[in-house]
Amino acid sequence: MTGKTQQVLEAHNVHVAFGGIHALSGVDMRLDQGTVLGLIGPNGAGKTTMVNVLSGFQKPTRGSVVLNGQDVSALGPQRLARAGVGRSFQAARLFRDMTVEQNLTVAGIGTGRGGRAAARAAAEVLDWMGLTRVAEKRCDALSYGDERRVSIARALALHPAFVLLDEPASGMNDAECDALMHTIAHIPERFGCGVLLIEHNMKVIMGVCQRIHVLDGGRSLAEGTPGEVQNDPDVRRAYLGKKAAAEAHHLI
Amino acid sequence: MPDKPMTPAARLAKYWFPVLALILPLLAVVVVADLFGSVMLQRTVTEALIRVVVVVGIYIFVGNSGIISFGSVTFMAIAAYATGWQTCCSMLKPITMPGLPEFLRDATYPLFPAALTSVALAALVAFVTGLVLMRMGGLAASISTLAVLFIINVVYSNWESVTMGTASMVGLPRYVTAWIALGAAVVAIVVAWVYQKSPLGLAIRATRADEVAAQACGVSLYWPRLLAFTLSGAVMGLGGVLTAHFLGTVSINFFFLKLTFLALAMLVVGGMGSLAGAVVGVAAVSIIIDVFRRMEAGVSLGGTTLALPAGTQELVLAVVMLAILIFRKDGIMGGQEFHWRGFRGKKAAIDTSLAGEGPK
Amino acid sequence: MSNLVQILVDAISLGSLYALVALAIGLVFGVMKLINFAQADYITIGAYALVVPSASVSPALFIGGWPVVFMVAGVLAVVTVLALLTERIAFRPMRNSNPATLLISSFAVSYFLQHLVILVHTGRPKSVGVGNSLSAAVEIAGIRLPGNQILTMVVAAVMLVGLVIFLKKTPMGIQMRAAAENFQMARLMGVRANRVIAVAFVISGVMAAAVSLLLVVQTGTLDVRMGLMPVIFAFFATVIGGMGSLPGAALGGFIVGFISVMLQAFLPADLRPFRDAGVFLLVILILLVRPQGLIVDRAARERV
Repeated sequence: MTGKTQQVLEAHNVHVAFGGIHALSGVDMRLDQGTVLGLIGPNGAGKTTMVNVLSGFQKPTRGSVVLNGQDVSALGPQRLARAGVGRSFQAARLFRDMTVEQNLTVAGIGTGRGGRAAARAAAEVLDWMGLTRVAEKRCDALSYGDERRVSIARALALHPAFVLLDEPASGMNDAECDALMHTIAHIPERFGCGVLLIEHNMKVIMGVCQRIHVLDGGRSLAEGTPGEVQNDPDVRRAYLGKKAAAEAHHLI
Repeated sequence: MPDKPMTPAARLAKYWFPVLALILPLLAVVVVADLFGSVMLQRTVTEALIRVVVVVGIYIFVGNSGIISFGSVTFMAIAAYATGWQTCCSMLKPITMPGLPEFLRDATYPLFPAALTSVALAALVAFVTGLVLMRMGGLAASISTLAVLFIINVVYSNWESVTMGTASMVGLPRYVTAWIALGAAVVAIVVAWVYQKSPLGLAIRATRADEVAAQACGVSLYWPRLLAFTLSGAVMGLGGVLTAHFLGTVSINFFFLKLTFLALAMLVVGGMGSLAGAVVGVAAVSIIIDVFRRMEAGVSLGGTTLALPAGTQELVLAVVMLAILIFRKDGIMGGQEFHWRGFRGKKAAIDTSLAGEGPK
Repeated sequence: MSNLVQILVDAISLGSLYALVALAIGLVFGVMKLINFAQADYITIGAYALVVPSASVSPALFIGGWPVVFMVAGVLAVVTVLALLTERIAFRPMRNSNPATLLISSFAVSYFLQHLVILVHTGRPKSVGVGNSLSAAVEIAGIRLPGNQILTMVVAAVMLVGLVIFLKKTPMGIQMRAAAENFQMARLMGVRANRVIAVAFVISGVMAAAVSLLLVVQTGTLDVRMGLMPVIFAFFATVIGGMGSLPGAALGGFIVGFISVMLQAFLPADLRPFRDAGVFLLVILILLVRPQGLIVDRAARERV
């Protein structure tokens, strides 16, 4: 499946407006298979909107989403999931009355596998995520941390070329968060997919991402390697200039 | 806690246990009624078993999709009339229903093929209406199922030359015994179970739990619902055929709001989240109905007859349904099936989750 | 020509009746995501309150025998209290349930009330002579119009305008719109849920009372199901208007009324009995083209 050709997911000049509010204004982004791209920015920067656009939940007002050279802006979320774009949600959005294993099996079925194959794929992902111990548990009985991990596992169970993770570590303590970031860093080599990782804490994802994209107020502020971004004058001004506020919000 | 692999026999037993737990009690009731019961009791049991078919039919769509359907009894009507046209009163048909096409008006068909084609017609109508309705979101679809109910009611009530309007079509062969109703109930339960345990069943349950997350998992909101609606229509059709050949008459106003309410009340009381809920709901509500029917008829106490006013049964049923919705939203069964371990399943899961928490 | 005008007046008058019912349903849906089947029984019970309970088909008048002002006030009081009671007893305990559960619970409440009416008044249709004088035709600009249609249009217009003023100008109305937009947020901002919902039910009760009086004046009969068809049509009015949108509900009411009258007027005679089926069919066709309804409400779309 993987490694045949390098897949690319791109956003070209994406604008999203809700009524008069511009959530995104002309954002370009490129996600390559096999890499982790961090998407950071303060609350309201448009990070989740960007993920919604890339996964088909939000149609761009202007601009386009391109998957391997094909314009997929018109596709709905279900078609994009089948085309290889998986995602998780800020609120885990698990199927609460199902077991963990069934949650992952749904993703397998959704991408056209038979029941057996989907269950097998689900078991593999659970094993890799260290979640086999809760496989038979109903999702409304999971601990918070497990819930978050299962939501990532479910996105991976699509065997997507790209997986978009929307603040996977939110609400976790430092140790849990570090462990999770370690896991996420290894997703490309294990599943061969490109990862888009939303986080508003820059420190947390420095070690995980090959590249980082900074959004602020719906515009791209900077993109580059973690080092470049950290030293980018615009980023420094945006973040450090608001240091007092930033500390309160754990921005840096 | 190592996963011990199950033997194929154990897996089979685990898979079918919840179904057997529903079917065997039904079988026992039929055997007892057959051996010891009066004709009245046998009729009551038969009626209840037909309701099992109907409520399981509604459950297949409503339970799995989470979308309330007020229109499902329409498909009963479609099949009931279809089997009536094929099997009823060969002498009278040309006079009472002159508008029927020749192959129906001038011929009478064997019962079993008539039942099958009627069920197929119900499924077809469900499929075609589903093509339109399932494009809408949950609530709009629910409301629109009402439109289906009213459209067919208006059409069949006024299409005098084919349906005899609001008059009853009489003289259908009455072949539905408790055993035949049991057979149909078993078919309905097995169909519902196999469907809900299949990948397709899992997919539609995902849309019920969370539409957004289901789409993110590549699951369409449309096709799984359409399939469930069609399958539900087929089983409702079976219920319609049974009703027709149990009563021996077919009348369009029988398949209207009252039956819709009764079927939904049963589903709600049992719990619409599980197949067991559908069956248990039929049992519970059938008992309530029967008790109050008798009390309305009058209970003689030492020479004086005490009777509840007619209509009490309906009020009680509505109150029971509301009480369930308020105090036990997921019904008697709480969305659970009768699993191996019985009701301990969910609780045990919660217990281990608390114990198992901590660092990896 | 005058025939066409008559058809148009029929359409507007029926449409405004449906718009009233649809607004009542839309208002309650807005504040608590409940599609209220029992609206039908508010209408029915309001009408039955006019007569003394009995098995007779031409029963003695009760509230219906009072002087007009007291009669209207009496029906208003009965229906409003009924609406509040159903809210308090049945719907409030379920406030946090999902819309499907609420829908089915209102179906149960409706079934209960309908059979309560049957228990008290029997299920037979009754005739009642209230407002007979209003059906006399009035001549305006050379066109003769039945007085009750004029009454319907005037009442509907007054209530529509009143509702708009209430929603736009009064603090309670503004709170109600805020609650309809985003209930959680409105609560955080200090909107008192119980009061807003209760007021929504009061308004839906007032509208139901108006509709029941108008129906009685028009038809002179009482029937256990007299509220059912207007409410079913109003459901579709809210759906084609776009669920959660009040202007949409009113617009939908007029559309359904228009379709109904046009079919009645222009269908060939032998197809006329199928009119209601045609209305529903057209409604479904509209929904096929616009599954979200004509006016898409932003709050109704789920946030990801």
